[in-house]
Formats: sequence, C-alpha cells, structure tokens
Amino acid sequence: MSARVEVEERVSFFRTYVFSIDHKMIAKQYLAIGLFWAVVGGLLAYLLRWQLAYPDTEAPGWGFIGPEFYNMLVTMHGTIMVFFVAMPILLGAFGNFLIPLMVGARDMAFPRLNMLSVWTLALSSLVLLISFFVPGGAASAGWTGYPPLSAKPIYTGVNWGLNLWILALALEFASFLMSGINFLTTPINLRAPGMSMFRLPLLVWMQMTAAILFMLSVGPLIAGAIMLLLDRVAGASFYLPQGGGDPLLWQHLFWFFGHPEVYVIFLPGLGIVLEIFPVFSRKPIFGYRPIIYSTIAAGILSFTVWAHHQFISGMDPRLAMPFSVTTILISVPFALMVFAMIATLWGGSISFPTPMLFALGTLAVFLIGGLTGIFNGSAPVDIYIHSTYFVVAHFHYTLFSALFFAGFAGLYFWFPKMFGRMMNEALGKLHFWLTFLLFNAVFIPMFLLGAGGMMRRIANPMQYEFLRPLQPLNTFATIATILLLLAQLPFVVNFFWSLFAGKVAERNPWQANTLEWSAPSPPPHGNFDTVPVVYRGPYEYSHPSVSEEWLPQDRPTMPTATA
Amino acid sequence: MAQTHVVATGVEARVASGIPTGKMGVWWFLASEIVLFGGLIGSFVMSRVGSGGWSEMAAHLSVPLGTFNTFVLLTSSLTMVLAFAAAEKGDQKGMRTWLLLTVLLGLAFLIIKGFEWGSEIGAGFTPMAGSFWSFYYTMTGLHALHVLGGVVVNSILFLSALMGLLRGREHRVELAGLYWHFVDIVWIFLFPLLYLSWTKGGI
Amino acid sequence: MARELVHPNYVAVWVWLVALLIASVGVTTLPISTGIVLLLIFAMAVVKAILVALNYMHLKSEQLLICAMAIVPLVIFFILWIVLYPDIALH
Repeated sequence: MSARVEVEERVSFFRTYVFSIDHKMIAKQYLAIGLFWAVVGGLLAYLLRWQLAYPDTEAPGWGFIGPEFYNMLVTMHGTIMVFFVAMPILLGAFGNFLIPLMVGARDMAFPRLNMLSVWTLALSSLVLLISFFVPGGAASAGWTGYPPLSAKPIYTGVNWGLNLWILALALEFASFLMSGINFLTTPINLRAPGMSMFRLPLLVWMQMTAAILFMLSVGPLIAGAIMLLLDRVAGASFYLPQGGGDPLLWQHLFWFFGHPEVYVIFLPGLGIVLEIFPVFSRKPIFGYRPIIYSTIAAGILSFTVWAHHQFISGMDPRLAMPFSVTTILISVPFALMVFAMIATLWGGSISFPTPMLFALGTLAVFLIGGLTGIFNGSAPVDIYIHSTYFVVAHFHYTLFSALFFAGFAGLYFWFPKMFGRMMNEALGKLHFWLTFLLFNAVFIPMFLLGAGGMMRRIANPMQYEFLRPLQPLNTFATIATILLLLAQLPFVVNFFWSLFAGKVAERNPWQANTLEWSAPSPPPHGNFDTVPVVYRGPYEYSHPSVSEEWLPQDRPTMPTATA
Repeated sequence: MAQTHVVATGVEARVASGIPTGKMGVWWFLASEIVLFGGLIGSFVMSRVGSGGWSEMAAHLSVPLGTFNTFVLLTSSLTMVLAFAAAEKGDQKGMRTWLLLTVLLGLAFLIIKGFEWGSEIGAGFTPMAGSFWSFYYTMTGLHALHVLGGVVVNSILFLSALMGLLRGREHRVELAGLYWHFVDIVWIFLFPLLYLSWTKGGI
Repeated sequence: MARELVHPNYVAVWVWLVALLIASVGVTTLPISTGIVLLLIFAMAVVKAILVALNYMHLKSEQLLICAMAIVPLVIFFILWIVLYPDIALH
C-alpha cells in the first residue's frame, strides 16, 4: 500500500491540482467553487437589499436596479446560496475532506466518480454563470421556480436564462448524486479495522443521512424539471392550466425535494458543531446514540413534511392538518439534539477559540430559527405569516446558521488539517463577533417586518401605504447587510494570510480524538502513514485512565474498565 | 454485520459491510433512480385520474409494437443475466456472446421505439398534442435514454471483453446487469400504464 | 465477504415473464369490467417486476441492506403518491 502512495505523490501538477482523484484536493476544489459563489451571492444580497431600502435609486457601485432586475436578484441569490454555496461547502468540501479521514480510509470508495462529480459541478457553475449574460438575463421566477410564472418565457421575459437555470440545477443534482454514492459507500465499506458504525464520528452520520435524504428525494424534482423544461421549450403543458396541466404538481415535486434539502444542508452543519463542542469542552458528547437515532428519525420524518410550504397554495385543505402535525413532530428530534449539545457543554472546561465561538453561534442562531419554524409549521399561523418577511427571517436563521456559522466553525477548525497552517485567532474572533452581531441586526428587523405584513418578493415596499411606516426597519436591515458583508473582510484577509504565512500546524493542534488528527497536517495522498486501528469511540475526552484530557481513537492503550 | 477487513495492496479493498463496494455504489444509484421514475409515474397516474379523456389518446398507441418491444426487453434481461452466469463460471466466450446479444436487443428496442415515435408524430401526436402525449414522450423518452445508457455500458463491456481487458473484472457484468434489469422493470410498468390501460373507455 | 448468489433457473423465469406479458395483453380483450382489467394487468406487472428483481437482480440471496435500498425508495415515492392523490387526482 505504501508503494501506491509513493507513486501517487509523483503525479504531474495537472493531476495534482486540476484533475485530481485525491478526496482532499477535490474537497478544496469544492471549497473554492463554494467561496466563489458565496461572493456572488453576497453581492446579489447587497443589491437586493439596496433596492428594498432605497427603491428605484442608483445602487453605489452598480446603478439602477428596478423591479425586473430585482426579481432576478432574489431568484439567483436563493439558488446560489442553497445549491452553489451551501451544498458545495457543507457537503462537497467538508464531506469529501472529512469522511475518508474520519473513517480511516485512504480515499473515497470511487475516487474517479468523485472527480467526475466536482467537474460536473464546475460545468454546472459555468452554465449558471453564462445564464447571467444571455439576452433577457438570468432566471427571475423565484428560486422555487413556481409555474405558471416559470412555465412560459413570456411571463417573466426571461427565456434562455431560465432554461439554463434548469440545466444548471440538473447538472448540480447529477453532481451531488455521484457524491452521495461516495458519501454512503465509503463509511459503510471502507472503515478502518475496529471502526464500527457506532464508533463513527457524528459528522459522518450526519453526512450519510444528508446523502440519503438527497438521493431519495431529488428524483421527482429531476423528473419535474424535465417536465418544466418541456413546458418551456416544447410547448407541453404539464403545469399550465389552459393546457390541462396543474401548477400544484410542480409545487409538490419541488417541495418533496425542497424540504429534505433543508436537512441535507442543515445536518452536516449540525455535525460540524457536534464535532467541535466535545473538543473544546473536554467532555464526551452527551447522548451519542440518541443523537444518531434522532438524526435517523429526523431523516425519516423529513419525507413527510413538505406540504407545509403549500398551506396557502390552494392544495387540498385536508392535507394541512397532517402536515402541521408532522412538521411539529420533526422539531422533537432536533430539540433532542439541541439538548444533547447543551448537556455536552454543561460542566465542561470550555475554552473559546474561534471555531468554538462559531459553533456556539450556530447553536444560538439555530435555536431562534428552529423556534420560529414552529410558527410557520402550524397551518393557522402560517396563513397569516406565509410569504412574509417572517418566513425570510426564519429560514435565514436556520440556513445561515448551518451554512455560515457552522461552515466558518468547520473552516477555522479544520483549516490546520486542510492547509497545514493555523488561522489567526485575533482576526477570527473579530470576524465572529462582527458576523454574529450584524447577522442579528439584519434579520431581527425582518421578523418585525413580516409580522407587520411585508410580503416577500416585492421590489418596492414604498408602493404600499401600510408598509411605509416600517421602512426605517428596511433601511436598518440594509445598512446592517452592507456592514455584514464588510465584516467578512477579516476572514478573507485571515484566510489568505494564514494560507501562506500562518503558524505551521502540528498533527493535532486542538488535541482532538477523531482519526483525521492522527494523519499528518496536511495529510498526503493516501492520508495515513499506516491504516489506523480503532479502539474506541470518538469522544473519549477527560478519560480517567489517562493523564491527558484527550484519548485518540487509534491509541492502543486499553482504558481500565473502572475509574 | 460482518467485520471482515481485507487489506490488499493497491486501492482499498476493505469491505466492512460484506457487500462488494461496486455493487453497493450501483444500488445507491438505483435507489435514487427508483424515486425518480416513481415520482414521474406518480405524476402521470394522478394527472390521468384527475383529467379524464386520456384513454382516447392512449388508444392511438400500437399495442402489437409495444408488446413486441416488451418481449424484446424482457429477453434482453435474460441474455444479460446469462452473460453474468457465464462470467461467473469463467466462460469468457459465453459472456461475450450474451453481452453482444444484449446490446443488439437493446438497440432493437430503441429502433422499434423510434419507429413508433416517428409514426405517432407523423399522425400529429406531438408532445404538444395534449397532456397524455406530453407525459408519453417524457416517460418513454427518459426510459429510452436509460436504455441508450445501458447499451453504451454493455457495448463497452463487450468491447473490453473482446480485447481481454475484462479478465479479473468480470463482476462489472453483474453491476451493468443490475442497472439493465432495473431499466427493464421500469418498462414493465410503463407498458401497461401507457399501452394497455385505455380499454373500454377507462380513465 | 459477499454471500454466494443462488442461481435460479433464468430461462424458466423468462418463460414466466413472457407468459405474463401475453396474459396481460390477453386480459384487455376479455369482456370484463375495466376495473378488473386494470387490477389484473397491474397485478401481473408487479409480479413480473418482482420476478426480475428477485431472480435476475438476485435480491433473493442479497443482504438485508441491499433489499432495504430497493424497498425504502418505493415507500418514499409512495408517500408522494398518497399526497398527490387528493391534490392532483381529485383536483
């Protein structure tokens, strides 16, 4: 096996950095794609917030926005953030980097498929990028692409932009289907000796659940997207009532995927937090197995909640009650996980380096997101707040927490493993506090705006008499958005500075237990010097039988049974 | 769960679950495909029940051609599984022969299907001619793309067997076979859904 | 390691498949009500699919995990069907 590693290390520049089959390089490619789109998505957020605060004025650095362009901005902001930032970073980057390392494998089960998946995503990104520059501009039918608006080019004035949007999404789905096969097969089959399923780090469980949810829910939407494309280009009428179609069909196919997709993004974020909490509280995770069972329960339930997005869509009213019930039910496993997190922190000797701050930030922000979800999930309340900024605030509290807070936590935490250098703590802490405060400054006003009745997807709130008194809140949120975007500059500086000049990282800078910390920093192609043998679970911190506070999974000393 | 760890040289050969890694990968892919076709068929069935009047359009499909095509695809499943059986026995010649037959039967299916589409479009039943036809072309088209994919995979297997490259990798015939049989099962449902359910003024 | 796959008589399974195909086409010509015809042809389609899955895809002798990977997706899209029924079929 060592022979193979030596051979692989002498491959050309091209095979090392471009068409690499090394899961770690592929993870960095995903990270690069995700960060690129995060910049684009952030700029779109700036422009759309500008339009809402100062409708129909010149945005500094851009120019006039107006309603049509605004529709494009919200559509592409949603699409990019969910499909081209959250999935590439949380699944593509962290899943690819960590799954083989954490299970003690030398690579993914299908390295070439892995390479194909990242290049499919690159192609998909290219298609999406091109869609901005075709005549008529990019898609503007909302990120959910509801027909009939999306089903005929004349309704939005966007023809090829929306067709390319569908194509880009189809390629993106294909890319993550290929990833999903790797994410599932690798932990099931390539575990190191002694690594049983119940010794896997929770992040691996979360990534596996996310992959299953994605693979088993995306099919109907792929079929639905083909149908939407045929409506647009071939004159079919799957979704057009005048031709005998039904727009509700799309809503069902979309949300049948769309709701599990929320957990596809959220579970890996939760997994990152669950990895970080025990390390910095020097305590075993509280309720390892209950967390796994909750994850599985949440995964199963996530297939039965989707129609809570459609309470006011005109669907059969008899469906509202069962979907309210399942939606409230799914908060139970997540509540259990939150309590397990708090119990993990309880009584620990907690330290607060940047990854821990971001992990705690995730928990705090997600709590608000989760609790406001209960409002949205109950059909009677939802009828009032549906399609208002309350919903916008709610899903930003859930998704921003998973994507940015947990994503940054993971990046600060695994940066030494990924790039072999430590990130700067002072800049990291500055980044956290600015992000945390400004994030709340952006989205708390939106709860108030939504409760005040401000609708989503309107380009000019000043047109509505009853919204004019609320306009200061919009202005406040916009200024906070601009500051929140500027608050990412410390991160950018930190990232690039640390990449080249950060303190060189040792193997296990955080004194953590999981297998990736037994590999060199950064791990070579092939990951481990010798395949590790696993003796215990991943969270044996402050074990009474050893003098150190940590006890790596592959350290052969046998802990005594009694303390 | 079997805890066998085979650490071989070269690429990882550990199989902690006892299921060969390639087979598991194919099955995860098939799991997602089942939901894809399930969602599409469900959309068709529910739209058809909800709309009515689709039977008149379905009556224009050629049952004899559809039946014959089903026969072709069922037979290709048999030749595929016989190729696998031959591969398992180490019978290279038998494996090549059955693979070639599978490829030819797959091509025959596509040619007959193409002829059907041609005559239907010639009679004015384009995808725009109504919801039934939209669904018909989407479902059979997506299925035909899957058949085409299978034909390509089986042709690659056949050619590499011909060049002797498949020796020691015969399990790939089984993996391609799993996919091929799945495509066959999809057609087993599409055939009665599209061709046979129109009888006696049904929905 | 992989369990030994049981080899059924593949040709006999094919004979059954073809017989069921002929029977399902034949049923549509019989003078019985549409409901029963639909019931029969789809029942025969299910039997055919099970025959292929069990024998040609060897689910008969596969491990539990593989069988779950075939069955769970069926349950999942069936949930979608149940919800589509009142909303699309009765719309």
